Amino acid sequence: MPRAPLPEFSSSVKLKYVKLGYQYLVNNFVTLLLIPVMAAVYLELVRMGPEEIMGLWRSLRLDLIQILCSFFVIIFAATVYLTSRPQPVYLVDYACFKPPTTCRVPFSTFMEHTRLISSDEKSVRFQMRILERSGLGEETCLPPANHYIPPRPTMEASRAEAQLVIFSAIDDLVRKTGLRPKDIDILVVNCSLFSPTPSLSAMIINKYKLRSNVRSFNLSGMGCSAGLISVDLARDLLQVHRSSNALVISTEIITPNFYAGNQRSMLLPNCLFRMGAAAILLSNRRRDARRAKYRLVHVVRTHKGADDRAYRCVYQEEDAEGHSGISLSKDLMAIAGEALKSNITTIGPLVLPMSEQLLFFLTLVGRKLINPKWKPYIPDFKLAFEHFCIHAGGRAVIDELQKNLELSAEHVEASRMTLHRFGNTSSSSLWYELNYIESKGRMRRGDRVWQIGFGSGFKCNSAVWKCLRTVKTPVDGPWSDCIDRYPVDIPEVVKL
Amino acid sequence: MDLLWTISTTLLLCSLLSILWKEFDRRRNRSCYLLDFVCYKPSDDRKLSSELCSDIIVRNKRLSVPDYKFLLKVVVNSGISEETYGPRSIIEGREECPTHDDCVDEVDDCMYRTLDELFLRTGISPIDVDVLVVNVSMFAPSPSLTSRIVNRYRMREDVKNFSLVGMGCSASPIAIDLVNNIFETRKRTLAVVVTSESIAPNWYCGTDKSMMLGNCLFRSGGCSFMLTNDPSLKHRAKMNLKCLVRAHIGANDDAYGCAIQKEDDEGRVGFHLSKSLPKAAVRAFAENLQRLAPKVLPMGELALYVLRGFRHRLWRSKEAKTDAATAARVNFKSGVDHFCLHTGGAAVIDAVGRALGLTNYDMEPARMTLHRWGNTSASSLWYVLGYMEAKKRLRRKDRVLMLSFGAGFKCNSCLWEVLRDLNDGGAWDDCIRAYPPQTLDNPFIEKFGWVKEA
Repeated sequence: MPRAPLPEFSSSVKLKYVKLGYQYLVNNFVTLLLIPVMAAVYLELVRMGPEEIMGLWRSLRLDLIQILCSFFVIIFAATVYLTSRPQPVYLVDYACFKPPTTCRVPFSTFMEHTRLISSDEKSVRFQMRILERSGLGEETCLPPANHYIPPRPTMEASRAEAQLVIFSAIDDLVRKTGLRPKDIDILVVNCSLFSPTPSLSAMIINKYKLRSNVRSFNLSGMGCSAGLISVDLARDLLQVHRSSNALVISTEIITPNFYAGNQRSMLLPNCLFRMGAAAILLSNRRRDARRAKYRLVHVVRTHKGADDRAYRCVYQEEDAEGHSGISLSKDLMAIAGEALKSNITTIGPLVLPMSEQLLFFLTLVGRKLINPKWKPYIPDFKLAFEHFCIHAGGRAVIDELQKNLELSAEHVEASRMTLHRFGNTSSSSLWYELNYIESKGRMRRGDRVWQIGFGSGFKCNSAVWKCLRTVKTPVDGPWSDCIDRYPVDIPEVVKL
Repeated sequence: MDLLWTISTTLLLCSLLSILWKEFDRRRNRSCYLLDFVCYKPSDDRKLSSELCSDIIVRNKRLSVPDYKFLLKVVVNSGISEETYGPRSIIEGREECPTHDDCVDEVDDCMYRTLDELFLRTGISPIDVDVLVVNVSMFAPSPSLTSRIVNRYRMREDVKNFSLVGMGCSASPIAIDLVNNIFETRKRTLAVVVTSESIAPNWYCGTDKSMMLGNCLFRSGGCSFMLTNDPSLKHRAKMNLKCLVRAHIGANDDAYGCAIQKEDDEGRVGFHLSKSLPKAAVRAFAENLQRLAPKVLPMGELALYVLRGFRHRLWRSKEAKTDAATAARVNFKSGVDHFCLHTGGAAVIDAVGRALGLTNYDMEPARMTLHRWGNTSASSLWYVLGYMEAKKRLRRKDRVLMLSFGAGFKCNSCLWEVLRDLNDGGAWDDCIRAYPPQTLDNPFIEKFGWVKEA
């Protein structure tokens, strides 16, 4: 697709340098303007000599009161500026749950179980075809209850899975950061498909003996993008409460959600969803700024629920036989693309450099006033971000986003490899992807990361982080024992 | 150089004024006004009389005769009238196998009816809503209940929605806390909160006594309310939030396990209420009051409390006194005019009333709410508030304390100040004149009198 307004130059190599020069000019405009001004002032000062400068100073006839007043004005202006800025939110560290190898579900195990559980040959074959094209690997994990034939989705087993994944992630985080549970001020937990009473947040408060005035919130039913919703909530709370920290837990509990029926649109989650959890420590304390890994720059939430098609595309319902499951509509990719476009419209002006915004604006004006046939300009997000974490919802989602945002294979490598190694772990997948990038030694100080999540509703949420210190390898995390094997080549179809 | 002097003093004054303005603006933003609230009134075909309750209980063939007697005794002595409501699926006999649609319809009916009326009464369009919070403790479909509302009312794309689940009967103050925190970060924000409970999917079909109480006491109910921090809407607002205190004693294992959803020995899921629940409630209550008292009581009362504490320590009696008893010595009525107590049950209301030193007049709204609506979980506080408003008790500058308990174990409270004389009938409109009734006794006590012998 031609990107420049005049298509006949698009194939010219020289255009690349013109573009680079244009970007430098626009993005550093103020600096470029300042250089001749500074040079002129310096030359003038040198020409005038020290006596003339002193003479100029004395002629102003400033007395003590005026000097003090100006001094106070500067101090007050600085105070007002500093107090009016929003409190920075730092990501001190995070930890992802590493599933034990005993929970592994290789393709052969999955297919064997499926054949034994399901009596319908067609749905077995359908699931096999999904698995072949899914982009998942042989090391993804399901919770112990799902290894039974048929699976045993009891409440006790669900709680056991929740305890296993969440407590492991928190223990890991405590070890990495030296966090004392009594110091946690805010707790936000999101788990979409398992919501016992008392909530999972109460379970954490009980296990780790958190304080009685901890502000806890338990979000549920909010889909695969709920991790970013929790981060958004924690950020708002950290704006209000000074010198506090927040523990955010993102997970999805697989045990209670096995679909026992044969309707095709509902079989996908069985094939794709896997065990996972992430524990994230956010803080607005100054002393944490020194050891924090990232700073939260933006969170943008988009909800397309007002559109019926978008609302119905991921929908929990009962099939004809009364089995409850989540039905995914065929329009899912198109709707994801539209939701992403809406999200980009808000986040674009916040993160894109001036050069891209100007081009976009000029093309828009041109299309409206000069010639409607001009192609719309798609901003180059690769200029705004160094790393992309796209929710590993499935191979098709990653393909679609790679096409829409015109990303290279390396940009989406973290998402594809996470899908391969861990499967679709729902809201925690973004953190596994971030850990992949760190484990590969690609995260440098100053790098910007864009996390994009999609979820039922239909929502598209994104978060922008800025890296505060270069992350040194080897990185302690779920990739530590296998990062050297990655990236792997994932074939289009794995023949089973 | 008078000009320079003038300029510098002007700049100094401007910066001082801007700091003062920022501070004033920030305090303005701190307000959380309650614009209006609408309590859910289900249709009359969903009324659960004692007779119907008894039929439903008897349908469970797994129970023995002593179990029936126990349950009927609970129903008859609960202080709940013949006018409370239950879910359609249970009344129609599908309590053991409700479909997903049954559960969704139950919650939809509550949410949409109350929201329709709320938008109509406030005259505010759904497209202006900035924050949406839904709390239904025991039902979380995908997409979430907030998405259902966004879809139905075609709300904006950037609406901040949160679906709080699993937070028990005390979730209303938690939702208010969430909204209040967001209000402090944004100006001129409008929030809608929907609070309800889902009974249809949570009917217990087993034989464990500790799990059967929920079946007898929980009833259908809900409330939608609108909050804002926009000062220009203050003249339309009913109340202003003064403070909010949350206490969570889940760190204690007994407290965590005293009200918990789990499977019984036969694998059926039910809500277990243990014998240590009152003790946990007292501890959570004391924890909450300790932090609430300084924010709510006038200086004089606080000083008296401190002096009494000193005297008690100096002239200590041999018997150790519990915190709740000490709390009785604090006169909360000096700082609070009306008390919205969670209608967890007659015993809960009595215990809390005694602890706070309340009279029958103070406890009447809670008792009448339990009588008319049953235990509607998180929304019960709003029915109690509705009673006070319908009885024209709420006058300008009155202070209202909402107090509730929830699984976990939590005790949450919030203090409101009434901004103008209130007199809406709300959900109580058609029956307020009949309250308080002559007697709260169950009219079928004669028919079921044999339970007293049990």
